[in-house]
Order: sequence, then C-alpha cells, then structure tokens
Amino acid sequence: MPSASALRIQIENALERRFPSALTPQPRTILETASTGIPEVDRLLDGGLPVGAISEITGPVSSGRTSLALAFLAQRTSEDRVCAWVDANDSLDSESAAANGVALKQLLWVRCKNQLQGTKPIERPDFSRPVFSRLDQALRATDLLLQAGGFAALVLDLGSTAPEHAAKVSLATWFRFRQAADRTRCSLLVLAQEPLSQSSAAVVLECAPLTAQSANQTVLGGCSYKVSPGRLASSIKTLSIAGQRKPPAVEWSATGAGQREASA
Amino acid sequence: MSPNLYACAHAEEFPAQALLRIRTELASQPVAILDGRPPLEMVCSLNRQTRLKGAALGMTRLETESISGLHLLARSLETEAAASAVFLECAAHFSPRLESVSNEYACACVLDITGTERLFGPPELLAERLRAALASSGLRASVAVSANFHTACMKAATTRGITVIPPGQEAAALSRLSLAALNLPIDHAETFAIWGIRTLAELAALPESDLVARLGPQARDWRNLARGVLPHTFQPIEAGFSLQEFCAFETPVEQIDSLLFIGARMIDCLATRAATHALSLASLAVQMQLDGAPVYQRTIRPALATIDRKFLLKLLQLEIAAHPPQAAVLSLTLSAQAGQSSKVQLGLFAPQTPEPSRLDVTIARLKAITGEDRVGSPVLEDSHRPGSFRMESFAIANSSSAYKPVESSSVLPRMALRRIRPPTPVRVQLNDLKPVAFRDREQSFKVSAAYGPWRTSGCWWSTEAWNTEEWDVLAKSSSGASIACLLVRNCTHNRWQLEAFYD
Repeated sequence: MPSASALRIQIENALERRFPSALTPQPRTILETASTGIPEVDRLLDGGLPVGAISEITGPVSSGRTSLALAFLAQRTSEDRVCAWVDANDSLDSESAAANGVALKQLLWVRCKNQLQGTKPIERPDFSRPVFSRLDQALRATDLLLQAGGFAALVLDLGSTAPEHAAKVSLATWFRFRQAADRTRCSLLVLAQEPLSQSSAAVVLECAPLTAQSANQTVLGGCSYKVSPGRLASSIKTLSIAGQRKPPAVEWSATGAGQREASA
Repeated sequence: MSPNLYACAHAEEFPAQALLRIRTELASQPVAILDGRPPLEMVCSLNRQTRLKGAALGMTRLETESISGLHLLARSLETEAAASAVFLECAAHFSPRLESVSNEYACACVLDITGTERLFGPPELLAERLRAALASSGLRASVAVSANFHTACMKAATTRGITVIPPGQEAAALSRLSLAALNLPIDHAETFAIWGIRTLAELAALPESDLVARLGPQARDWRNLARGVLPHTFQPIEAGFSLQEFCAFETPVEQIDSLLFIGARMIDCLATRAATHALSLASLAVQMQLDGAPVYQRTIRPALATIDRKFLLKLLQLEIAAHPPQAAVLSLTLSAQAGQSSKVQLGLFAPQTPEPSRLDVTIARLKAITGEDRVGSPVLEDSHRPGSFRMESFAIANSSSAYKPVESSSVLPRMALRRIRPPTPVRVQLNDLKPVAFRDREQSFKVSAAYGPWRTSGCWWSTEAWNTEEWDVLAKSSSGASIACLLVRNCTHNRWQLEAFYD
C-alpha cells in the first residue's frame, strides 16, 4: 500500500499541467511588521502594521485615526528612522505630534495647499477643483517620496478629504504605490474616511469613537476608540481550524490634554 | 644646480576660445568675435573655420555680415577673465611658479619647470600633459620649452603644437622667426625693413656696437632676444582658485532650456576644476543679469558637497523652474563654493535613510509642487500661542547628534488634534456661558459636554497679540455623528471659531 506522501506526489504529478503543486500548501509569506505603539492594536495585527505595504486607517472624524498614525510614527522615529507626512488638507498639529513622541526633526511634512488661493475671484466658484488640486498634490508628493526611498513610514493623510473625491483616485495609482512601498520597504499609511485602495492594501483598519472620559467633569480626560479589521493580509490573519475568521474589534484609549498636563 | 627651464603655454585667439569653451554647440561653426562700440565694431578674434570662409582680423561688422553662415559674437571680458583663471589654474598643476605674459588677444603664461623631471618626466612629456590638461578645459594652446624665458615665449607665440628647444640651441630655434615676433616700435620696424632685416637670424648677425650706435641701447636687448640670450627676472604670480563661470548672451534668452544648456556646460567646468583639487561643490550661486529687471540671484545648497553634474543640473533646473527670472536673461554667472568631498559612514545596523543627494532633488520637486514654504520639518515655537510652529528645511540629522525625543514606548497615546486651516467661523449658542450648540456653514451640532474655558493670551505689546478662550467640546451633528472638537472664542472680537477636531 503506497504511503500518503507517495500518493500525494503521484496525484500532483498527474495534475501538474493543470494545477501545479495541487496538494502542497503554498508557503506562507510572513510580512515584516512594525509596532504601532498601542498594544491592543498590535495584538489585533499580530505584531503591528506591515512594512513595505499599504495600510489604511479609516473612519469618521474623531475616531482616533490621527492618534493611531502618530503613535506609529513615534515608534518609527524613536528607532532613528525617517518618516514623512503628506498632508492633503494641511491639518497636522505639530504639538500633538510632539506630544505623542514623534521626533519632529525626523519628520518630513508636506503641506499641500490650495493652488487657487490668491487668484482673482471667479463668478461661480468651483468648490470641487481645490479639493482635486490638493489631492493631486498629495498623490504626486507620495509618489515622489516612495520613489526616493529611505522613508520608514509615510502617512498619506486624506482624512479630511471628501470620500467622493478620494474615491476617484484610480486603482492603478494605489497599485503603483503598493509596488513602490514594497520595493523601498516603506510602510504607507493612508488616513481616509472610507477604504480607498481595495486589494492594494495589506491592512484596512476601521476606527470608530466610543466614549470620552472626563476628569472631575471639568477636563476632557481622554477618549476610547474601537478598531476593527476591515481587511487583513493573509499572512496576518489568524489561522484556525474553523477557518479564517476576522479577529474581533479591540478598544484602546488616548489621554487628553488635561491628563497630559497632570502626567507632566 | 640644474639650469633654468621654462615652459610657455600660449592660447591664441583667446576671445574666441573663451566664448567657445562655454558655447560648445558653436565649436565646429565659423565664429567671429566683434569688439568695439556699435556701429564701429571690428573682428578681434576668429576661429579656423572663419578664416577658411575668408574672414580676417580687423574686418567691420558690415563686411563680416556679407559672409554667409558666420556666427558673430560680442566680445565678453568677463568670460575671458573666467577662462584666463581656468588657464592659469591648469598651468598651476605643473608648477607653483607662474608668470603671466598675456596680451590683449592671447592668454599666455610661463612656468618655471626647473627640477620637475622627476615629477612629470622629460620636458616633452610635461609639455604634452600641459597641453592635454588645457585641452580638457576647452582651451587650445601651443607649448614651447626653453632654458631662456623670452625664447620660450616667442616660440610658443609663433608656432603651433609643442616645441622643445635644447639648451644652447635658442638662436637656431628662433632664426627663422619674423622680426614681428619682437613687437618692435613701428619706426624701428620700418628701419629694419629698409635695411633688409626680416628674420631674427639676420638681426642676431648684426654687430652689437654698431646697432646700439644707430638705434640706441634698446637695440642690444632686441639683438639678445634674437639670439635667445636675454636674461629675465622671474616674477611669479599667485594663481588664485575661484570657482566662477560667466557667459554673456548675444541676444536675451527667455527659454529656461537654453539657459540650462549653457548651465550644464558651466557646471561641468566647475565640477572638473573642483575635482582636480580633490574638492566638491558645496554650494552653487546663480546670478543672472536681466533685461530691464533687477539682478536675479539664487543659491543652491545640496545636503552634501558633490561633483555629480547631473544632480547639480537637476537642482539648478528645479530652482530656476520654481523661481523663474522675471525678464529675459542677458548673462549667466555660476559661482561655486568648494567643500570637502563628502563621505558618509554607514553602519551595518543603522536604519535605512534617504540618500542625501536624491532627497535634495525630491524636496526640490516637492517644493515645486506645493510651494517653497510647504515642505520641511515642523519646529515648535517657544511660545504659549496655541498651534504655533515654524517650518525648517528637512535634513537627515546624524543619529549621534540628533535630538532624542521622549522614549515613545513610555508615552501613552494622546488625543491628537486635526487643525482646520484656516479655522471655520461658527455661531455658538451659550447657556450659562457654556456652549450648548453651534453651527457652521453646513450643519449644526448639539453639544453633549463642554470642558473649559482655557484662557490664553499673550504678546499684548505687539500686533500679534492674542486673547482666546478654548473649549473642548463633545458634540453630535444633525446627521448623528459624534465629534470631539476644539472651539475657540476670540475674546478681543468675541468671535467663535472651530479650530480643530480631536482625532
């Protein structure tokens, strides 16, 4: 009686032309990850955000996207790495970045601006054009920085860009970003209100606000946020006998300004 | 002690050579250089192709314009000065003792090469290397080597290529030269012509005492010159090292591409000159004379001193594209500051960082896209004004000297603000001096909790004074979305603004 391995080889040889290595499990590609600095999120992602891939952090305003991205940058800059923040709407607060531990000297901040500012007013203002203009600048800047290489993390902040405008970015652009990020080993974080890059993203995290804490009813003490995985790369998903299940959402909290002063 | 030995390098038609050194596209074209005030300009220098077309020195502009296919350029003394500096700099590589013997239309210098045989080999080899070095700088010169200073000068000025005159053979080497090589005053030249004296050999053969009796004591020097025995006291000059190139255009240039075409050649020359001194270019200053506008000046400072021509040209292109000149360009000057060749010590376990030269180009491109002041590193201002910062140029700091932030693992995640620039004006409804609802241009919000006020003020002595009241507000929009935001009241004008969202 032939052994199981011999039988498997026999079947694979028979099916080789149509299904190469039909019964051999594909080798699992383990993505290198980098810690986000938030233990709850790291546990959810099995180590952190992937290196050399696109990660999307989506959610509405006040859902903790920016705090999560800054915590990640703080981790990367603390390792003497260089990061970049492409700010489509010029909304980064440098004080918040410093308070979260980001080394500002190692952060290249690209502030996109409305190119129509300063031009003479026109009769019917076209509100869509400035948005596209900023978005276009942000995409071009991201492309340049990814091609330049050497950045450990790059945040493309489209968090304040209307989803209907951000969704018009072609999938070919995201695919190009993914290839460039992979080649230069750069973690590309996309902050947006809704998922944009679809299959090009290795990780999509959906953020939502939970509760706000107050200290003595006079100070905003902090906020709790919920993070649930919208999409995880196969290498990050936890394999189980029952099949591939989406990990449950996790909660994490960030302290507010009052807590900061108290701890200081 | 070995006898003195001199090498003279002589570049004739220097006005033409200096211009063609930069304008390489005209190198194979017939070019005539005009000097003088319009309309009385005359040809002062020309190249071989122009001679073949029938042009000659001293022709007027009208005469030269009648010759088809001739490129007429105006003489540029600045370009000649820059080329002359390059000429002397090349010569200084072979001997520290130089004496300039240039005249109005030729650049020449004499090198004291006594005792250089062990460094450069025999005089023939040194002459070849000197000529090749000058040729690599875009200058064509003839070289003559002699034990007599004046013999070397006269021979180099009157013959092409390389001539090495053995000691004692000076008179023989000069014998066939015309009397014009001595640059005699016109009346004396006429006297010699009447006597039938046409070559230096014939002059050398005249008896010294009779010659002095008829023409005066200077005739002794002429005779000694013709015999190759006139002594000379060497007066060495200090060959300066200044990295500067100049090019004046015959017509105002409006196209950036045309400027860059010339700029590329100038950068090439600067980089080559710096490299010969084992140096790099630390900064590049661009100066343009504009047609009816102030002088255009920009400075390019790469992160690391470099001699990478393509990289410097790209930076120049991006700089000019980001700050285009306001009028047509009359002349272009590139001056460089030399710096030590940069060496970067990489560590085996050091994290990967952007390549400095590539990062320079990337940042220049980003600035071209977003604006000059929109790219860099944020630096917090030493001020209590909320949200104050300034932008500084981004540079990769040396990890040993870089500012170390607070250990990030010890920092708890903190609520970050997303600033709204410029802030949105809102209408706020108050109850017991606390916001209970507010409304912007699009929707209304109902406040569920308001924490504050946090009052700040400062700079009351200046126009940048501020006096504000901040409220951390939790609110629900009319669409049901929960937000945490920062409402600010300008106490001076009693205006409310939505400054930021907590995110």
